Amino acid sequence: MKNIYIVLTAAMMLLASCKEFQPVFTGEYADPAPYEVVTMEPTHTIAELAAMYVIEKPWVIDEDIIIEGKVSTTDQPGNFYKSFYIQDETGGMEIKIGKNGLYNDYKPGQTVYVKCQGMSLGMYGWKKPGTYNGEPTGGCGMVQLGYEDPTEEYETSYLEIPLLIDKHVKRGVIGDEVQPVVITEADLPGREDTQEDNPYVGRLVTLKGLKYANETFTLLYLDSNKDKKASSNRIFLSDQTWGITTWAMSEAKMKEYLYSGIWDNCKLGNSGDQNYGTVGDRRVVDEVTGEVSYPDIEKAAYSVSQYFKMGSTEIQIRSSGYSKFADTEIDPAVLSGAKTIDVTGILTLYQGSIQFVVNNITDIIVND
Amino acid sequence: MIKRLSLFIAALLCSISLFAQTGEWGGVKGTVVNRAGRTPIADAALTISQNGETVAQATTDAEGKFLVEGLPNGMYDMAIKVPGYVDAHVNVTVEGYVKDMIFLGMVAVQQVNDVDASSFAEFDMDDSGYSDTPTILFGSSDVYSNVAGYGFSSVRFRNRGYNSETQDVYLSGVRMNDAMTGYTPYSLWSGLNEAMRSKETTMGVEASDYGIGGFNGVTNIHGNPASVRPGWRFSVLSNSALYRLRLMATYASGELDNGWSYAFNVSARLGGNDWVKGVYYRSFAYYAGVEKKFGNVHRLSLVTFATPGQRGAQNASTQEVYDLMGDNMYNSNWGYQNGKVRNARVRKTFEPVTILKYTATPSDNLEASATVLWRTGKNGYTALDWYDAADPRPDYYRNLPSYFYMDDEDYDRQNYTKYAWAKEMWTDRSGEYDNYQHLNWDRLYNVNYNSAGGRSKYALEERRVDQNDINVAANVKWRASDWFTLTGGLSYKWNRTEYYKQINDLLGGQYYLNIDQFAERDFAASEALIQNDLDYWMNNGKTAEKIYTKGKYGYDYYANVQKADIWANGTFKIAGFSGSLALSAGYDTFCREGMMRKGLFAGVDQVGNPYYINMANGMVEALAQPKEGYKLITTYDSNGKAITSKGKSEVSEFFTYSAKLGLAYSFTGGHRLSANAGYFNDAPTFNQAFVSPRTRNTLVPNLTTQKTLSADLNYQYNNNGYSVRVTGFYTNIMDQTDVMSFYDDSQNSFTNFAMNGIDQRHMGIEIGAQVPLPVKGLSISGVLSFGEYIYTSTPFMTQTVDNSAEIIFDNQPVAYWKSHPVYKREQLADGSTVIAMDLDGNPVVEKQQKHYVPSTPQLAAALELNYRTSSYWFFELSGQYFGNSYLDMNPLYRTDMAVSGPDGIASPVEIEYMAAQEKFDPVFLLNASVGKSWFIHRKYNFGFSLEVKNILNNRNVKTGGYEQTRLIDSAGKDRYYRFDPKYFYMQGANYMLNLYFRF
Repeated sequence: MKNIYIVLTAAMMLLASCKEFQPVFTGEYADPAPYEVVTMEPTHTIAELAAMYVIEKPWVIDEDIIIEGKVSTTDQPGNFYKSFYIQDETGGMEIKIGKNGLYNDYKPGQTVYVKCQGMSLGMYGWKKPGTYNGEPTGGCGMVQLGYEDPTEEYETSYLEIPLLIDKHVKRGVIGDEVQPVVITEADLPGREDTQEDNPYVGRLVTLKGLKYANETFTLLYLDSNKDKKASSNRIFLSDQTWGITTWAMSEAKMKEYLYSGIWDNCKLGNSGDQNYGTVGDRRVVDEVTGEVSYPDIEKAAYSVSQYFKMGSTEIQIRSSGYSKFADTEIDPAVLSGAKTIDVTGILTLYQGSIQFVVNNITDIIVND
Repeated sequence: MIKRLSLFIAALLCSISLFAQTGEWGGVKGTVVNRAGRTPIADAALTISQNGETVAQATTDAEGKFLVEGLPNGMYDMAIKVPGYVDAHVNVTVEGYVKDMIFLGMVAVQQVNDVDASSFAEFDMDDSGYSDTPTILFGSSDVYSNVAGYGFSSVRFRNRGYNSETQDVYLSGVRMNDAMTGYTPYSLWSGLNEAMRSKETTMGVEASDYGIGGFNGVTNIHGNPASVRPGWRFSVLSNSALYRLRLMATYASGELDNGWSYAFNVSARLGGNDWVKGVYYRSFAYYAGVEKKFGNVHRLSLVTFATPGQRGAQNASTQEVYDLMGDNMYNSNWGYQNGKVRNARVRKTFEPVTILKYTATPSDNLEASATVLWRTGKNGYTALDWYDAADPRPDYYRNLPSYFYMDDEDYDRQNYTKYAWAKEMWTDRSGEYDNYQHLNWDRLYNVNYNSAGGRSKYALEERRVDQNDINVAANVKWRASDWFTLTGGLSYKWNRTEYYKQINDLLGGQYYLNIDQFAERDFAASEALIQNDLDYWMNNGKTAEKIYTKGKYGYDYYANVQKADIWANGTFKIAGFSGSLALSAGYDTFCREGMMRKGLFAGVDQVGNPYYINMANGMVEALAQPKEGYKLITTYDSNGKAITSKGKSEVSEFFTYSAKLGLAYSFTGGHRLSANAGYFNDAPTFNQAFVSPRTRNTLVPNLTTQKTLSADLNYQYNNNGYSVRVTGFYTNIMDQTDVMSFYDDSQNSFTNFAMNGIDQRHMGIEIGAQVPLPVKGLSISGVLSFGEYIYTSTPFMTQTVDNSAEIIFDNQPVAYWKSHPVYKREQLADGSTVIAMDLDGNPVVEKQQKHYVPSTPQLAAALELNYRTSSYWFFELSGQYFGNSYLDMNPLYRTDMAVSGPDGIASPVEIEYMAAQEKFDPVFLLNASVGKSWFIHRKYNFGFSLEVKNILNNRNVKTGGYEQTRLIDSAGKDRYYRFDPKYFYMQGANYMLNLYFRF
């Protein structure tokens, strides 16, 4: 009898050692170990890397460059999407990852090392400087790290592939979140500045005492499935407020604005090519139900730039229609100019203009 | 009363035996042979009994011959038992002379076919909207069923193209088809082969003794202890296709002198297999039954059984993924956790069934039974759930090379460098990239470790379907006269099933939050709308519920189903003529009862007031009247009815009925001609009735009964070891509804297609033939099933998404469901072809390409060579051919919207591309088996069987799959492309070895 037990036990042990029997005998799985914390020696600062960029010449990095920075943004509230910024003392830079929910994998305050070789350094938002109606236009956008884009639609594309992301972006220690630097109007970058020239570009900063400038900018499409660059497919809500009192607009809010008729006078088309009638021309009223609709205009979430002034400098606070705070109303006292705001966010440039992007609505404080 | 009844019965019995004794005397003789090959069987034990009492016994001689004389005229039951063969029963009528039964064919116990019918790889179809329940044929006396039943299961053959729910499966006289889905419930007793071996079957439209059944046969499994083969039996089975090891023990007492019989059967199925990683079994099964016979009349049995355990499921992937992995059996459900294989999709079940059955045979001519059957327990299925985090599935389309580069520039995917990297990630076999090619558990845990407050972003959910199913059935069989028998019965089913999700594993986190992920994206502004449990949120100071392990979340609702049926079947037999007429009528009713109020479908409160948000503080209140500063959140359907998730839905009621007629004539010489026809008016099942059962009470539009007209014509020939059946069948199914739920990753939710008005037509022939060959013990069998199973209507579809109130398609036609046009091509002078145009400039349609009922070969053929020796060796070699198999269709691709593309213009090229249905390549398979039994002192029986399937190791056999629910815009934004379909493949060469010992 004893022998039978020995044989049975031996048989069971033999089975248990078999790989395919693992799930049979494994009721519980032990928790995996936490990630190993990576430490690397950076070869360049962010400003030094940005300095290697030449306008309109995206560069597939062929040198062994490593940068180090702390994650300063989060995509949790949805105002940043598919990428995050890292920053050191010299500047901040967007790393174009291309996945959702990045804040789960790269925590705000976490040190990240980027092995740049094989990645692409490019600029988003460059426009040749010039003047329009006596005002300077154009200028730099942001130098970013991403991957090459053979379509040449953008200078960089997202890394996207998990293997590529993990090859280039290494997780270091999770530290305290980045503390913003309070800067003055004088610290703000010029139209043709990059991280190379101004230490605050791409970094988390606080701007104080911003006053509403009674102007918004939103670009709507008639059909985003059609050519987005075609003038006939575009509606610019710009140069005035158009009744937009929220930081951005979700699809539901956009419909609310549209159906209320406040945009009916807005002309379709690019400035200088506004030959496609007005929004109001697209209004349809159901004869039976009286229901209003605009079948031609794409109902979607849209980003909004709300214009403010810091002293005499224009600051666009740009927020995504997909952010969780998109439909938050701006305090009427701010809109009327009675109150100013302090904002903390990433200082970016787009075609030479300052676009300020907050992580969350709590980064906008209304002053008494 | 009982005393008087028994006195009456005793008197009746006396009169019968008196009657018997006044007549003449006779006997019976014949030869017992192996049905395959007609080898005589020596030493077969024959027992002739009447009214349960043994009247005579005999054994066959060396030539298999027997003779029993001196029997009073009357009807007898003759049991034939031979080791290694299925026990046979023959009704014998003695009429004053020695009746020559000529040959009594015995069917060898198919030791090979010992993996039971329900042991199919669990295909993970939960997120695909399709079901994967093959139909299985039983029936030991029919060559076709014998060959096709088990032999065709590897390609998931569905007999006559019918769905699983059309096959009626009874247990102890109670219809067991699932109350929610109608599916055959074999998994309830899988692993209990011995206890459930004894069964009776009818084919096609034929009626049965247990219920009139539908158009796809009736199987009744006896399942009572007295029907289990007496003695001990132990077996060890190993197979390489599903689970490595099965251990089984069975004991049955047979009927003891004191009227008691008892039986038990236990088994364990354990391990993985050679072909699909992550698929494993840890399944157990038990059966225990006791039965007591009281005198000659009453019989009571009590049985309980269950199959507790778990098994890992297999997932489908696109061909691109299979090719990258170099393996059509790649399974994306698992990954390494601390070096161990862990499957995210595990079926966990424990559904005990208890049966109490009473049978009365007050006379030889009357048999009545009443059964109470209770099914309860839990059925869970784990899956990954995630919140605001990247899609964890390794074969997510954005991780694949094709997402970055496609040759066709119209796909607008031209990043070749990334393509190369993605390819590298998938094709490196060093093991370094295991975490990219399979689930990356390390990452999921680390995300949770680092998540603020310990909130899990990834978790394993367990989708539960917990049934409580009570059945009462009463059946009567009355042999009114020599030529007329009446059977009939009543049945009632009460079912209450709870559907919900619970947290199975928080994967290193502390809790999960009960909110709706996608709703959050769309309704960011209103926190109330994203709540899965709005009531909890309102009652707990606007905080969503934290869910811990085993906590319910997501959805929670009951299905309440009741069914009642009455039926009768009269059969007559006059000389060679026989016939039957069966009728049934029934009443089906069901409703949904939501237990959670979902923010999106708040509905109304107890007094019928809708819900509003107080814009000042975000709180939700039910109000009789609109109020300043309040915004209505209750939504309404097109009939003005509030769309609601909580509370009872409207009750659906259906009157059902069916009628069957069968006629047969037996000619002398073993020829038989028969015809059956039936009309069925069946209620839709619960799972086909709600547009989005997880979230709301809304019923599918135009919900109605399904009507089926079915007929078959059969010719049979059984003589001299020849056995032939030829059947022609025609079935028209009308007004079906179907609800498919697909996981749509663009919405991060389930999207539901509720279709109504689906018609199908199934017609074809079935041939089964067995022919003895000149060599003793050698026979050859051949079967053919050839049909055309097509869709014949344009159904209507309503598309909804679980986490949005929006109706994407509102009862719109699925224009290209039943067919699509194929356009005529013309050759130009330069050799190129263009689509021909008529004089009006319209493209010329060459033909309408039919669309077929999918997931089964519509052509199946097999040839089997069978050799048995008198020393109990057997050898089998079979060749099988399967063709005309089609892929399941996604209704979305057959809509005008999908065919037209973003520009709204449907060109011939788009129609032909988008609406087409994929046809699988035909398959040839070769299988062989060998076995032997040894008998020691006629008491101990030891044997083995070995079967090798798919000897040619064909690894390119698609057995099914499904189309995805996404469209790709072309670069020119003028048309859509489809996402690649996902497939399941059949295993390559695999073995099954069975060793058994009986005494």
